[in-house]
Amino acid sequence: MSETMFCDDLLTAAFPGILKHDPICAKSSHFTVPKDRLPAISHYIHTQPSLRGRLTLLWACDDRPVRDSYGLYYLFTLEASHHWVVLSTELAGHDRLFPSITPHIHAAQWYEREIRDMFGLIPQGHPDLRRLVRHEHWPKGTHPLQKDFSWNHVLERQQGEYRFHHIDGEGVFEVPVGPIHAGIIEAGHFRFSVAGEPIMQLELRHFWKHRGVEKLFEQLTLTDAVLLAERVSGDTTVGHSLAYCQAVEALLHLEVPRRANYLRSLFLELERLYNHLGDIGAMCNDTAYALAHAHCGRMKERIMQLNDRLVGSRYLRGVMQVGGVSWDIDRSQFTTIVEELNGIQKDFSEVGAIIFANASLTDRLETTGVLTERIALDHGVTGVVGRASGIDQDVRRDRPFAAYDELPVNVPLYRYGDVRARLRVRGDEIHESIRLIREVRDKIPNGPIASQPCSLPKPGGWTLAAVEGWRGEILYMVMAGEDGRIHRCKVRDPSFVNWPAIQWAVLGNIIPDFPLINKSFNLSYAGNDL
Amino acid sequence: MFRIIKKSLRIGVVTGRYQKAEKPELPVTPEAQDKASPFKRSLAIREVDTGSCNACEMEMSALLNPVYDADRFGIHIAASPRHADALVVTGPVTVNMERALKDVYRQTPDPKIVIALGDCAINCGIFKGSYAVTGPVERHIPVDVRIPGCPPRPAEILAALSELRKPKG
Repeated sequence: MSETMFCDDLLTAAFPGILKHDPICAKSSHFTVPKDRLPAISHYIHTQPSLRGRLTLLWACDDRPVRDSYGLYYLFTLEASHHWVVLSTELAGHDRLFPSITPHIHAAQWYEREIRDMFGLIPQGHPDLRRLVRHEHWPKGTHPLQKDFSWNHVLERQQGEYRFHHIDGEGVFEVPVGPIHAGIIEAGHFRFSVAGEPIMQLELRHFWKHRGVEKLFEQLTLTDAVLLAERVSGDTTVGHSLAYCQAVEALLHLEVPRRANYLRSLFLELERLYNHLGDIGAMCNDTAYALAHAHCGRMKERIMQLNDRLVGSRYLRGVMQVGGVSWDIDRSQFTTIVEELNGIQKDFSEVGAIIFANASLTDRLETTGVLTERIALDHGVTGVVGRASGIDQDVRRDRPFAAYDELPVNVPLYRYGDVRARLRVRGDEIHESIRLIREVRDKIPNGPIASQPCSLPKPGGWTLAAVEGWRGEILYMVMAGEDGRIHRCKVRDPSFVNWPAIQWAVLGNIIPDFPLINKSFNLSYAGNDL
Repeated sequence: MFRIIKKSLRIGVVTGRYQKAEKPELPVTPEAQDKASPFKRSLAIREVDTGSCNACEMEMSALLNPVYDADRFGIHIAASPRHADALVVTGPVTVNMERALKDVYRQTPDPKIVIALGDCAINCGIFKGSYAVTGPVERHIPVDVRIPGCPPRPAEILAALSELRKPKG
């Protein structure tokens, strides 16, 4: 509480004009600020040594049906206390311009371009105003998240060209890759500029898989939309649906039974386990070390089959519901889980010893794709990638959700930021997840597994929820509409902030190392494109 | 070295350790089998993602792990549509991927078959109607085989692919 007071006092003292609101949730503050002061205030929060706020989320909201304005919201997470500070402002009437904060805070670059595409609001002073989500063939003036744009509108096709950044010079070549790749990978486009082998520049062109998820949320009721949240990014089914459920529960003031919270942690850790095991194998495979790939693929398959036996879905689909979980795990099933995981832990330790004793593998992993702490901080990088670059951040420990307030998490931290560090973080997290699941079995209380939602939220009420998915921090902002519907749902997969950082991690590396670096980040295209 | 051999010996063979799929609900039609007959018993697949959530891709990748090991049946993944006998398409076709899908189809040499994998590819699933989705795969290119599920289990995919590889008659 004192932390809240401290931060609030500091801000109101520095900027007397700002208006303080009731906090949206625990450990948070909310201020309304005049539009033209935004860059100064956000810069202050970002750089003030006692605050050092990291830009965590930036979203807009079309409130025109109710009060003839657009809302803009900036979420900062303070470094030391993990306290949330929300700044909000309004663009009233026909005002479509807002000052860009990208010149001061680099992490805002994609968010502001996204807002321009989806709402038609223009960030003044943004250094790069090319289209992001809308590809060049979208008609001019199409802004899907405006309320007067119909969700099932049929888009026309127009001619257009996307301008990539070019490097000119003798011997400089461009290598376009994608959107359809050689392996079984999602769709995305990479444009390399090379002179000889080393990469001089990489430019991403994503959003091929944009499915209009945020608009689809607005067509659903609060309780039904869990199904959609599960399908935002298939490999993070639990992470996304859990973050969504938490946001809705906070809106409905719904208490989740303790047993349900423990089960949520169990499912989240199972998801982390199968993904990390798969990733370690895939990283080894990209160095042509097929043996480790085979072993890890086999272990991943064991966990997915375990999921299937437990809840009838290999991806743990259908386990989350608003108010709790829909599947209970009994004593004997817990015994099965822990026995299976004990076996996998021993198995993985042996494979880990083989992997790290392999000199040729280490040679490929070390000093490859280094993401420095500076670059990671500037991009607001989160999750596994951040923890490999010295950013000590984990929502499970910093802002505990589900049962993590009673299950302390040891967060692995590496500083070098290369592919090997990211592999090590994943390896450590596998052991930690298995330990956590054992702890869940020991501590889980008896009781109901879900509580029923019995009220409707006030229209216009909104809240935020964060979950540490296996990739990193997943954020959901849910704003309630009329009759239990959703007015606006902002989804942020960790991939959205981590993708731009990969453009820096590859510099100076050779193109054949790109698949390896990309795999070590293993970001979602679907969760990024929405 | 000894550690690696010891490990491999202790693990043994894991191939086939999965629950066999029940008979697929939508069986592979005789027409599709006919169309697949020139490929004899092998199938080179090009996977095309047109907007799926990545779960179907992961199940396709799972086919290549030691447990399912689709390579033992002569099913393998081609790195280019030029090398492919079959296209496996996942996801509802998004506005942005529509052209890429048609290009890939054109670039795949005849004879070829198209497999729509997962509910999204068959009927757009939960994304049906969205402004960013242009419709199921069959709206853009002819589809021969449909494998339903969200996502279908690897065993189900394998069962459907095996049907395709069955000799005629």
